[in-house]
Amino acid sequence: MANIFEVKDLKFKYKTNQENVLKGINFQIKEGEIFGFLGPSGAGKSTTQKIIIKILENYQGNIFYKGKDLKDYKQDFFEDIGVSFEMPIHFSKMTAMENIRFFQNLYKKKADVERLMKRVGLWEDKDKMVAEYSKGMKIRLNIVRALLNSPTMLFLDEPTNGLDPANAKILKDLIREFKVSGGTVFITSHIMADIDQLCDRVAFIVNGEINVVDTPRNLKIKYGERRIKIEYKENNKIVEKLFSMEDLGKNKEFLNTIKEKDIETIHSGETTLEDIFIKVTGVTLDEKQ
Amino acid sequence: MKNNRLIYLIKGELIRLHKYKVTTISIFIAIIWSVLLFFVEGDIFNSLLPVLILVDATTMSFMYIGSVMFFEKKESTMSSMLVTPSKDSELILAKILSNTIHNFLSTALIITVFVILKDVQISYLLIAIAVILVTLYHTSIGLLLSYYQKDFTTMLMSVMLISFALLIPTVLFMLNVLTGDIWEYILLINPIQSANIIITQSFKPITLDWKYYFSLGYLIISGLLIYRFLVLRNFKNYAVSISGV
Repeated sequence: MANIFEVKDLKFKYKTNQENVLKGINFQIKEGEIFGFLGPSGAGKSTTQKIIIKILENYQGNIFYKGKDLKDYKQDFFEDIGVSFEMPIHFSKMTAMENIRFFQNLYKKKADVERLMKRVGLWEDKDKMVAEYSKGMKIRLNIVRALLNSPTMLFLDEPTNGLDPANAKILKDLIREFKVSGGTVFITSHIMADIDQLCDRVAFIVNGEINVVDTPRNLKIKYGERRIKIEYKENNKIVEKLFSMEDLGKNKEFLNTIKEKDIETIHSGETTLEDIFIKVTGVTLDEKQ
Repeated sequence: MKNNRLIYLIKGELIRLHKYKVTTISIFIAIIWSVLLFFVEGDIFNSLLPVLILVDATTMSFMYIGSVMFFEKKESTMSSMLVTPSKDSELILAKILSNTIHNFLSTALIITVFVILKDVQISYLLIAIAVILVTLYHTSIGLLLSYYQKDFTTMLMSVMLISFALLIPTVLFMLNVLTGDIWEYILLINPIQSANIIITQSFKPITLDWKYYFSLGYLIISGLLIYRFLVLRNFKNYAVSISGV
Protein backbone atom coordinates (compact mmCIF):
# COMPACT_ATOMS: atom_id res chain seq x y z
CA MET A 1 0.00 0.00 0.00
CA ALA A 2 1.28 3.47 -0.89
CA ASN A 3 1.57 6.20 1.71
CA ILE A 4 -1.24 8.74 1.55
CA PHE A 5 0.42 10.88 4.24
CA GLU A 6 4.06 11.12 5.12
CA VAL A 7 5.08 13.23 8.10
CA LYS A 8 8.78 13.90 8.54
CA ASP A 9 10.40 15.55 11.55
CA LEU A 10 7.32 17.61 12.34
CA LYS A 11 7.86 20.32 14.95
CA PHE A 12 5.40 22.92 16.11
CA LYS A 13 5.31 25.63 18.75
CA TYR A 14 2.34 27.79 19.71
CA LYS A 15 3.16 31.49 19.95
CA THR A 16 2.26 31.52 23.63
CA ASN A 17 4.44 28.50 24.48
CA GLN A 18 8.16 28.43 25.04
CA GLU A 19 8.58 24.76 24.23
CA ASN A 20 7.69 22.86 21.09
CA VAL A 21 4.39 20.99 21.37
CA LEU A 22 5.55 18.59 18.67
CA LYS A 23 9.21 17.64 18.90
CA GLY A 24 10.08 16.18 15.53
CA ILE A 25 7.55 13.43 14.95
CA ASN A 26 7.62 10.99 12.03
CA PHE A 27 4.89 8.70 10.76
CA GLN A 28 3.21 7.49 7.57
CA ILE A 29 -0.44 6.74 6.90
CA LYS A 30 -1.01 4.08 4.27
CA GLU A 31 -3.75 4.37 1.71
CA GLY A 32 -6.83 2.44 2.79
CA GLU A 33 -5.87 1.92 6.43
CA ILE A 34 -7.37 3.12 9.69
CA PHE A 35 -4.57 4.84 11.56
CA GLY A 36 -5.01 5.50 15.28
CA PHE A 37 -3.24 8.34 17.01
CA LEU A 38 -3.23 7.83 20.75
CA GLY A 39 -2.07 9.87 23.64
CA PRO A 40 -3.11 11.54 26.87
CA SER A 41 -4.56 15.06 26.97
CA GLY A 42 -2.04 17.65 25.89
CA ALA A 43 0.26 15.11 24.22
CA GLY A 44 -0.02 16.76 20.82
CA LYS A 45 -2.76 14.67 19.17
CA SER A 46 -5.07 17.53 18.25
CA THR A 47 -2.19 19.79 17.25
CA THR A 48 -0.95 17.10 14.85
CA GLN A 49 -4.43 16.70 13.39
CA LYS A 50 -4.87 20.47 13.02
CA ILE A 51 -1.58 20.65 11.13
CA ILE A 52 -2.31 17.82 8.72
CA ILE A 53 -5.77 19.20 7.95
CA LYS A 54 -4.16 22.59 7.18
CA ILE A 55 -5.79 24.52 10.03
CA LEU A 56 -2.44 25.26 11.67
CA GLU A 57 0.43 26.56 9.61
CA ASN A 58 4.00 27.66 10.40
CA TYR A 59 5.21 24.20 11.30
CA GLN A 60 8.70 22.88 10.78
CA GLY A 61 9.41 19.65 8.96
CA ASN A 62 7.75 18.12 5.92
CA ILE A 63 4.30 16.74 5.30
CA PHE A 64 3.42 15.03 2.05
CA TYR A 65 -0.13 14.20 0.99
CA LYS A 66 -0.35 11.84 -1.97
CA GLY A 67 3.31 12.56 -2.64
CA LYS A 68 2.92 16.33 -2.84
CA ASP A 69 4.00 18.83 -0.18
CA LEU A 70 0.95 19.76 1.90
CA LYS A 71 1.98 23.42 1.65
CA ASP A 72 1.51 23.26 -2.13
CA TYR A 73 -2.15 22.30 -1.77
CA LYS A 74 -4.70 25.08 -1.91
CA GLN A 75 -8.41 24.81 -1.22
CA ASP A 76 -8.71 21.72 -3.43
CA PHE A 77 -7.22 19.73 -0.52
CA PHE A 78 -10.49 20.19 1.36
CA GLU A 79 -12.45 18.63 -1.52
CA ASP A 80 -10.56 15.45 -0.73
CA ILE A 81 -10.95 15.21 3.04
CA GLY A 82 -13.70 15.00 5.64
CA VAL A 83 -13.22 16.16 9.23
CA SER A 84 -15.23 15.39 12.32
CA PHE A 85 -14.21 17.41 15.35
CA GLU A 86 -14.60 16.13 18.88
CA MET A 87 -17.26 18.62 19.85
CA PRO A 88 -20.46 18.73 17.82
CA ILE A 89 -20.33 21.77 15.54
CA HIS A 90 -23.50 22.93 13.82
CA PHE A 91 -25.65 26.01 13.42
CA SER A 92 -28.06 25.30 16.26
CA LYS A 93 -30.92 27.43 14.95
CA MET A 94 -31.01 25.62 11.65
CA THR A 95 -32.38 22.13 11.05
CA ALA A 96 -30.04 19.19 10.59
CA MET A 97 -30.85 19.09 6.89
CA GLU A 98 -30.31 22.85 6.46
CA ASN A 99 -26.90 22.44 8.10
CA ILE A 100 -25.97 19.50 5.89
CA ARG A 101 -27.21 21.13 2.67
CA PHE A 102 -25.40 24.37 3.49
CA PHE A 103 -22.05 22.63 3.93
CA GLN A 104 -22.57 20.18 1.09
CA ASN A 105 -23.10 22.94 -1.45
CA LEU A 106 -19.59 24.22 -0.73
CA TYR A 107 -18.13 21.07 -2.32
CA LYS A 108 -17.94 19.80 -5.88
CA LYS A 109 -18.37 16.14 -4.93
CA LYS A 110 -21.60 15.29 -3.14
CA ALA A 111 -22.48 12.14 -1.21
CA ASP A 112 -25.97 10.70 -0.90
CA VAL A 113 -27.10 12.55 2.22
CA GLU A 114 -30.33 10.61 2.57
CA ARG A 115 -28.42 7.33 2.74
CA LEU A 116 -25.97 8.74 5.29
CA MET A 117 -28.68 10.25 7.47
CA LYS A 118 -30.61 6.96 7.41
CA ARG A 119 -27.42 5.03 8.18
CA VAL A 120 -26.84 7.00 11.39
CA GLY A 121 -30.52 6.97 12.30
CA LEU A 122 -31.18 10.69 11.87
CA TRP A 123 -33.39 10.72 8.79
CA GLU A 124 -36.61 10.88 10.81
CA ASP A 125 -35.27 13.90 12.71
CA LYS A 126 -33.76 15.68 9.71
CA ASP A 127 -36.13 18.63 9.97
CA LYS A 128 -35.58 19.22 13.66
CA MET A 129 -33.53 22.22 14.83
CA VAL A 130 -30.06 21.05 15.84
CA ALA A 131 -30.63 22.85 19.17
CA GLU A 132 -33.25 20.16 19.90
CA TYR A 133 -30.82 17.31 19.22
CA SER A 134 -29.23 15.28 22.01
CA LYS A 135 -25.44 15.17 22.26
CA GLY A 136 -25.41 11.71 20.68
CA MET A 137 -27.48 12.93 17.72
CA LYS A 138 -25.18 15.92 17.24
CA ILE A 139 -22.13 13.64 17.22
CA ARG A 140 -23.78 11.41 14.59
CA LEU A 141 -24.59 14.51 12.55
CA ASN A 142 -20.90 15.45 12.81
CA ILE A 143 -19.99 12.23 11.01
CA VAL A 144 -22.55 12.91 8.27
CA ARG A 145 -21.06 16.38 7.96
CA ALA A 146 -17.59 14.83 7.53
CA LEU A 147 -18.79 12.40 4.84
CA LEU A 148 -21.02 14.69 2.78
CA ASN A 149 -18.37 15.36 0.12
CA SER A 150 -17.47 11.66 -0.36
CA PRO A 151 -13.91 12.24 0.91
CA THR A 152 -11.01 9.90 0.24
CA MET A 153 -9.56 10.60 3.68
CA LEU A 154 -11.43 11.00 6.93
CA PHE A 155 -10.14 12.67 10.09
CA LEU A 156 -11.99 11.80 13.26
CA ASP A 157 -11.28 13.38 16.62
CA GLU A 158 -12.60 11.23 19.48
CA PRO A 159 -15.47 9.99 17.27
CA THR A 160 -17.27 7.87 19.86
CA ASN A 161 -16.73 10.10 22.89
CA GLY A 162 -20.10 10.71 24.57
CA LEU A 163 -21.98 8.06 22.58
CA ASP A 164 -23.90 5.16 24.12
CA PRO A 165 -22.72 1.66 23.06
CA ALA A 166 -25.47 1.25 20.42
CA ASN A 167 -24.67 4.55 18.70
CA ALA A 168 -20.94 3.98 19.10
CA LYS A 169 -21.40 0.68 17.22
CA ILE A 170 -23.27 2.43 14.37
CA LEU A 171 -20.41 4.87 14.06
CA LYS A 172 -17.72 2.22 14.17
CA ASP A 173 -19.55 0.21 11.51
CA LEU A 174 -19.75 3.34 9.36
CA ILE A 175 -16.00 3.87 9.74
CA ARG A 176 -15.34 0.25 8.72
CA GLU A 177 -17.65 0.63 5.69
CA PHE A 178 -15.73 3.77 4.71
CA LYS A 179 -12.50 1.80 4.85
CA VAL A 180 -13.96 -1.09 2.84
CA SER A 181 -15.02 1.41 0.16
CA GLY A 182 -11.35 2.42 -0.20
CA GLY A 183 -11.16 5.33 2.23
CA THR A 184 -8.34 6.11 4.64
CA VAL A 185 -9.04 7.14 8.24
CA PHE A 186 -7.01 9.04 10.81
CA ILE A 187 -8.45 8.74 14.32
CA THR A 188 -7.30 10.50 17.45
CA SER A 189 -8.71 9.02 20.60
CA HIS A 190 -8.06 8.07 24.15
CA ILE A 191 -10.66 5.27 24.11
CA MET A 192 -8.46 2.22 23.64
CA ALA A 193 -11.23 -0.30 23.05
CA ASP A 194 -12.41 1.61 19.95
CA ILE A 195 -8.89 1.95 18.64
CA ASP A 196 -8.27 -1.74 19.23
CA GLN A 197 -11.42 -2.69 17.30
CA LEU A 198 -10.95 -0.26 14.42
CA CYS A 199 -7.32 0.48 13.70
CA ASP A 200 -4.90 -1.27 11.40
CA ARG A 201 -1.99 0.59 12.95
CA VAL A 202 -1.56 2.86 15.92
CA ALA A 203 0.91 5.52 17.01
CA PHE A 204 1.50 6.47 20.64
CA ILE A 205 2.31 10.12 21.24
CA VAL A 206 3.43 11.52 24.57
CA ASN A 207 4.96 14.92 25.26
CA GLY A 208 5.08 15.70 21.55
CA GLU A 209 7.05 12.58 20.69
CA ILE A 210 5.94 9.36 19.04
CA ASN A 211 7.16 6.32 20.96
CA VAL A 212 5.70 3.50 18.92
CA VAL A 213 3.97 2.91 15.58
CA ASP A 214 2.73 -0.62 14.92
CA THR A 215 -0.35 -2.80 14.47
CA PRO A 216 -2.39 -3.54 17.61
CA ARG A 217 -1.76 -7.24 17.02
CA ASN A 218 2.03 -6.86 16.88
CA LEU A 219 1.98 -4.69 19.97
CA LYS A 220 -0.06 -7.24 21.88
CA ILE A 221 2.30 -10.02 20.88
CA LYS A 222 5.34 -7.94 21.66
CA TYR A 223 4.18 -6.60 24.99
CA GLY A 224 1.78 -9.34 26.06
CA GLU A 225 2.75 -12.28 28.24
CA ARG A 226 3.15 -15.52 26.28
CA ARG A 227 1.15 -17.68 28.62
CA ILE A 228 -2.18 -19.43 28.92
CA LYS A 229 -4.38 -19.17 32.00
CA ILE A 230 -6.82 -22.03 32.63
CA GLU A 231 -9.52 -22.13 35.26
CA TYR A 232 -11.24 -25.38 36.15
CA LYS A 233 -13.45 -26.79 38.87
CA GLU A 234 -12.09 -29.32 41.34
CA ASN A 235 -13.74 -30.33 44.60
CA ASN A 236 -16.19 -27.45 44.25
CA LYS A 237 -13.31 -24.98 44.08
CA ILE A 238 -12.00 -22.93 41.16
CA VAL A 239 -8.39 -23.80 40.38
CA GLU A 240 -6.23 -21.49 38.24
CA LYS A 241 -3.18 -22.68 36.33
CA LEU A 242 -0.70 -20.83 34.16
CA PHE A 243 1.21 -22.38 31.25
CA SER A 244 3.94 -20.96 29.08
CA MET A 245 3.04 -20.78 25.39
CA GLU A 246 6.44 -22.17 24.44
CA ASP A 247 5.99 -25.78 23.21
CA LEU A 248 2.45 -25.74 24.54
CA GLY A 249 1.46 -28.71 22.40
CA LYS A 250 4.18 -30.81 24.10
CA ASN A 251 3.38 -29.68 27.62
CA LYS A 252 1.97 -32.81 29.24
CA GLU A 253 0.53 -31.04 32.25
CA PHE A 254 -1.36 -28.65 29.97
CA LEU A 255 -2.60 -31.46 27.72
CA ASN A 256 -3.73 -33.52 30.69
CA THR A 257 -5.47 -30.55 32.25
CA ILE A 258 -7.59 -29.76 29.21
CA LYS A 259 -8.28 -33.44 28.69
CA GLU A 260 -9.24 -34.38 32.22
CA LYS A 261 -10.46 -31.31 34.03
CA ASP A 262 -13.79 -29.57 33.95
CA ILE A 263 -12.51 -26.38 32.23
CA GLU A 264 -14.36 -23.14 32.94
CA THR A 265 -12.18 -20.55 31.16
CA ILE A 266 -9.08 -20.39 28.97
CA HIS A 267 -7.29 -17.10 28.33
CA SER A 268 -4.13 -16.22 26.48
CA GLY A 269 -1.91 -13.63 28.13
CA GLU A 270 -2.70 -10.90 25.63
CA THR A 271 -2.52 -7.52 27.18
CA THR A 272 -4.75 -4.55 26.41
CA LEU A 273 -3.63 -1.58 24.32
CA GLU A 274 -4.06 0.58 27.40
CA ASP A 275 -1.58 -1.56 29.36
CA ILE A 276 0.81 -1.47 26.41
CA PHE A 277 0.45 2.29 26.21
CA ILE A 278 1.34 2.63 29.90
CA LYS A 279 4.24 0.22 29.48
CA VAL A 280 5.64 2.04 26.44
CA THR A 281 5.08 5.62 27.48
CA GLY A 282 5.12 5.44 31.25
CA VAL A 283 1.96 7.53 31.55
CA THR A 284 -1.73 6.73 31.77
CA LEU A 285 -4.12 8.04 29.13
CA ASP A 286 -5.90 10.30 31.59
CA GLU A 287 -2.70 11.83 32.86
CA LYS A 288 -2.46 15.52 32.11
CA GLN A 289 0.76 16.93 30.85
CA MET B 1 -18.03 27.47 -8.74
CA LYS B 2 -15.62 30.10 -7.38
CA ASN B 3 -17.99 33.07 -7.74
CA ASN B 4 -20.99 30.87 -7.07
CA ARG B 5 -19.48 29.89 -3.74
CA LEU B 6 -19.18 33.53 -2.63
CA ILE B 7 -22.78 34.16 -3.63
CA TYR B 8 -23.81 30.96 -1.89
CA LEU B 9 -21.92 31.96 1.28
CA ILE B 10 -23.57 35.40 1.25
CA LYS B 11 -26.96 33.74 0.90
CA GLY B 12 -26.10 31.44 3.83
CA GLU B 13 -25.09 34.42 5.98
CA LEU B 14 -28.34 36.26 5.14
CA ILE B 15 -30.37 33.17 6.04
CA ARG B 16 -28.55 32.90 9.36
CA LEU B 17 -29.07 36.62 10.07
CA HIS B 18 -32.75 35.84 9.67
CA LYS B 19 -32.68 32.59 11.68
CA TYR B 20 -30.77 34.19 14.53
CA LYS B 21 -33.31 37.07 14.59
CA VAL B 22 -30.77 39.77 13.70
CA THR B 23 -32.90 40.81 10.71
CA THR B 24 -36.02 41.02 12.88
CA ILE B 25 -34.20 43.21 15.39
CA SER B 26 -32.85 45.55 12.71
CA ILE B 27 -36.30 45.95 11.10
CA PHE B 28 -37.77 46.57 14.54
CA ILE B 29 -35.14 49.26 15.25
CA ALA B 30 -35.79 50.86 11.82
CA ILE B 31 -39.52 51.01 12.59
CA ILE B 32 -38.88 52.58 16.02
CA TRP B 33 -36.63 55.23 14.44
CA SER B 34 -39.24 55.89 11.76
CA VAL B 35 -42.02 56.32 14.33
CA LEU B 36 -39.90 58.63 16.51
CA LEU B 37 -38.81 60.80 13.59
CA PHE B 38 -42.34 60.98 12.26
CA PHE B 39 -43.26 63.25 15.17
CA VAL B 40 -40.23 65.50 14.72
CA GLU B 41 -40.75 68.55 12.55
CA GLY B 42 -38.79 71.10 10.52
CA ASP B 43 -35.10 71.80 11.00
CA ILE B 44 -34.71 69.24 13.76
CA PHE B 45 -36.02 66.54 11.43
CA ASN B 46 -33.70 67.70 8.64
CA SER B 47 -30.67 67.46 10.89
CA LEU B 48 -31.74 64.27 12.67
CA LEU B 49 -32.36 62.10 9.60
CA PRO B 50 -28.72 62.18 8.35
CA VAL B 51 -27.51 61.52 11.91
CA LEU B 52 -29.83 58.54 12.13
CA ILE B 53 -28.59 57.16 8.81
CA LEU B 54 -25.02 57.73 10.02
CA VAL B 55 -25.64 55.84 13.29
CA ASP B 56 -27.33 53.01 11.39
CA ALA B 57 -24.43 52.67 8.96
CA THR B 58 -21.66 52.98 11.56
CA THR B 59 -22.55 51.86 15.09
CA MET B 60 -25.23 49.41 14.02
CA SER B 61 -22.80 47.85 11.53
CA PHE B 62 -20.43 47.18 14.44
CA MET B 63 -23.28 45.67 16.43
CA TYR B 64 -24.62 43.39 13.73
CA ILE B 65 -21.28 42.00 12.62
CA GLY B 66 -20.28 41.65 16.28
CA SER B 67 -23.39 39.62 17.06
CA VAL B 68 -22.79 37.37 14.03
CA MET B 69 -19.18 36.75 15.03
CA PHE B 70 -20.05 35.98 18.64
CA PHE B 71 -22.85 33.60 17.62
CA GLU B 72 -20.28 31.75 15.53
CA LYS B 73 -17.77 31.83 18.36
CA LYS B 74 -20.36 30.36 20.74
CA GLU B 75 -21.17 27.51 18.34
CA SER B 76 -17.58 27.02 17.12
CA THR B 77 -18.93 26.75 13.58
CA MET B 78 -15.87 28.51 12.21
CA SER B 79 -13.88 25.28 12.51
CA SER B 80 -16.29 23.55 10.11
CA MET B 81 -15.94 26.45 7.68
CA LEU B 82 -12.14 26.25 7.86
CA VAL B 83 -12.13 22.67 6.55
CA THR B 84 -14.32 23.40 3.52
CA PRO B 85 -12.92 24.48 0.13
CA SER B 86 -13.95 28.09 0.89
CA LYS B 87 -11.10 30.61 0.88
CA ASP B 88 -10.51 32.95 3.83
CA SER B 89 -11.31 35.91 1.59
CA GLU B 90 -14.63 34.31 0.58
CA LEU B 91 -15.57 33.69 4.20
CA ILE B 92 -14.76 37.29 5.19
CA LEU B 93 -16.34 38.90 2.13
CA ALA B 94 -19.49 36.85 2.66
CA LYS B 95 -19.78 38.28 6.16
CA ILE B 96 -18.99 41.86 5.15
CA LEU B 97 -21.24 41.85 2.09
CA SER B 98 -24.19 40.11 3.76
CA ASN B 99 -23.99 42.53 6.66
CA THR B 100 -23.88 45.42 4.20
CA ILE B 101 -26.90 44.14 2.26
CA HIS B 102 -28.77 43.61 5.50
CA ASN B 103 -27.89 47.05 6.89
CA PHE B 104 -28.58 48.73 3.55
CA LEU B 105 -32.09 47.29 3.48
CA SER B 106 -32.91 48.54 7.00
CA THR B 107 -31.58 52.02 6.12
CA ALA B 108 -33.50 51.94 2.85
CA LEU B 109 -36.62 51.18 4.86
CA ILE B 110 -36.14 54.31 6.98
CA ILE B 111 -35.41 56.48 3.93
CA THR B 112 -38.40 55.10 2.01
CA VAL B 113 -40.71 55.85 4.93
CA PHE B 114 -39.62 59.49 4.99
CA VAL B 115 -39.56 59.95 1.24
CA ILE B 116 -43.22 58.84 1.22
CA LEU B 117 -44.42 60.50 4.43
CA LYS B 118 -42.31 63.64 4.68
CA ASP B 119 -41.28 64.20 1.08
CA VAL B 120 -37.57 64.07 1.93
CA GLN B 121 -35.47 65.32 -0.98
CA ILE B 122 -32.54 63.01 -1.48
CA SER B 123 -30.36 61.67 -4.29
CA TYR B 124 -31.05 57.92 -4.30
CA LEU B 125 -27.80 57.17 -6.07
CA LEU B 126 -25.62 59.22 -3.70
CA ILE B 127 -27.31 57.96 -0.53
CA ALA B 128 -27.04 54.36 -1.79
CA ILE B 129 -23.31 54.85 -2.47
CA ALA B 130 -22.85 56.53 0.92
CA VAL B 131 -24.72 53.90 2.94
CA ILE B 132 -23.05 50.98 1.17
CA LEU B 133 -19.56 52.44 1.49
CA VAL B 134 -19.94 53.50 5.12
CA THR B 135 -21.47 50.15 6.07
CA LEU B 136 -18.74 48.21 4.25
CA TYR B 137 -16.09 50.27 6.01
CA HIS B 138 -17.54 49.98 9.50
CA THR B 139 -18.45 46.32 9.12
CA SER B 140 -14.79 45.66 8.32
CA ILE B 141 -13.75 47.60 11.42
CA GLY B 142 -16.37 45.70 13.45
CA LEU B 143 -15.01 42.41 12.15
CA LEU B 144 -11.50 43.45 13.10
CA LEU B 145 -12.68 44.53 16.58
CA SER B 146 -14.36 41.18 17.13
CA TYR B 147 -11.00 39.43 16.58
CA TYR B 148 -9.68 40.97 19.77
CA GLN B 149 -12.73 40.91 22.08
CA LYS B 150 -13.57 38.05 24.40
CA ASP B 151 -17.34 38.47 24.26
CA PHE B 152 -20.11 40.65 22.90
CA THR B 153 -20.30 42.83 26.04
CA THR B 154 -16.60 43.69 25.82
CA MET B 155 -17.11 44.46 22.14
CA LEU B 156 -20.01 46.81 22.97
CA MET B 157 -17.81 48.64 25.47
CA SER B 158 -15.03 48.96 22.89
CA VAL B 159 -17.44 50.23 20.24
CA MET B 160 -18.75 52.87 22.63
CA LEU B 161 -15.25 53.93 23.65
CA ILE B 162 -14.06 54.15 20.04
CA SER B 163 -17.18 56.00 18.89
CA PHE B 164 -16.84 58.40 21.82
CA ALA B 165 -13.15 58.99 21.12
CA LEU B 166 -13.87 59.63 17.42
CA LEU B 167 -16.74 61.94 18.19
CA ILE B 168 -14.89 64.16 20.70
CA PRO B 169 -12.78 66.10 18.16
CA THR B 170 -15.83 66.64 15.92
CA VAL B 171 -17.90 67.95 18.83
CA LEU B 172 -15.04 70.17 20.06
CA PHE B 173 -14.72 71.62 16.56
CA MET B 174 -18.46 72.25 16.35
CA LEU B 175 -18.31 73.99 19.76
CA ASN B 176 -15.41 76.15 18.54
CA VAL B 177 -13.07 74.73 21.16
CA LEU B 178 -10.88 73.59 18.29
CA THR B 179 -10.55 76.46 15.85
CA GLY B 180 -8.80 77.05 12.55
CA ASP B 181 -9.00 75.61 9.04
CA ILE B 182 -6.38 73.01 9.86
CA TRP B 183 -8.90 71.15 12.02
CA GLU B 184 -11.32 70.98 9.12
CA TYR B 185 -8.70 68.92 7.27
CA ILE B 186 -7.50 66.89 10.24
CA LEU B 187 -11.03 65.89 11.18
CA LEU B 188 -11.60 64.34 7.77
CA ILE B 189 -9.20 61.56 8.78
CA ASN B 190 -11.85 60.53 11.27
CA PRO B 191 -13.92 57.90 9.37
CA ILE B 192 -17.11 58.91 11.20
CA GLN B 193 -16.59 62.51 10.02
CA SER B 194 -15.97 61.34 6.46
CA ALA B 195 -19.06 59.13 6.65
CA ASN B 196 -21.08 62.09 7.93
CA ILE B 197 -19.97 64.23 4.99
CA ILE B 198 -20.88 61.76 2.26
CA ILE B 199 -24.24 61.03 3.88
CA THR B 200 -25.15 64.69 4.51
CA GLN B 201 -24.20 65.76 0.99
CA SER B 202 -26.57 63.16 -0.48
CA PHE B 203 -29.51 65.29 0.59
CA LYS B 204 -30.84 67.87 -1.84
CA PRO B 205 -29.87 70.48 -2.84
CA ILE B 206 -26.80 68.58 -3.98
CA THR B 207 -23.57 70.57 -3.75
CA LEU B 208 -20.66 68.18 -3.81
CA ASP B 209 -17.55 70.00 -2.53
CA TRP B 210 -13.93 68.84 -2.21
CA LYS B 211 -14.67 67.42 1.21
CA TYR B 212 -17.17 65.02 -0.36
CA TYR B 213 -14.64 63.70 -2.88
CA PHE B 214 -11.88 63.53 -0.27
CA SER B 215 -14.12 61.63 2.15
CA LEU B 216 -15.26 59.26 -0.59
CA GLY B 217 -11.68 58.55 -1.68
CA TYR B 218 -10.46 58.33 1.90
CA LEU B 219 -13.10 55.76 2.90
CA ILE B 220 -12.50 53.67 -0.24
CA ILE B 221 -8.70 53.63 0.02
CA SER B 222 -8.38 53.26 3.78
CA GLY B 223 -11.20 50.69 3.75
CA LEU B 224 -9.38 48.56 1.18
CA LEU B 225 -6.13 48.82 3.16
CA ILE B 226 -7.88 47.86 6.40
CA TYR B 227 -9.52 44.88 4.68
CA ARG B 228 -6.35 43.67 3.00
CA PHE B 229 -3.76 44.22 5.72
CA LEU B 230 -5.72 43.87 8.94
CA VAL B 231 -9.00 42.02 8.44
CA LEU B 232 -7.83 39.40 5.93
CA ARG B 233 -4.31 38.98 7.31
CA ASN B 234 -5.47 38.31 10.88
CA PHE B 235 -8.52 36.23 10.01
CA LYS B 236 -6.92 32.78 10.05
CA ASN B 237 -5.37 33.24 13.51
CA TYR B 238 -8.68 34.50 14.83
CA ALA B 239 -10.69 31.73 13.16
CA VAL B 240 -8.38 29.05 14.57
CA SER B 241 -8.52 30.62 18.04
CA ILE B 242 -12.34 30.60 18.13
CA SER B 243 -12.77 27.29 16.34
CA GLY B 244 -12.78 25.45 19.65
CA VAL B 245 -10.97 22.42 18.25
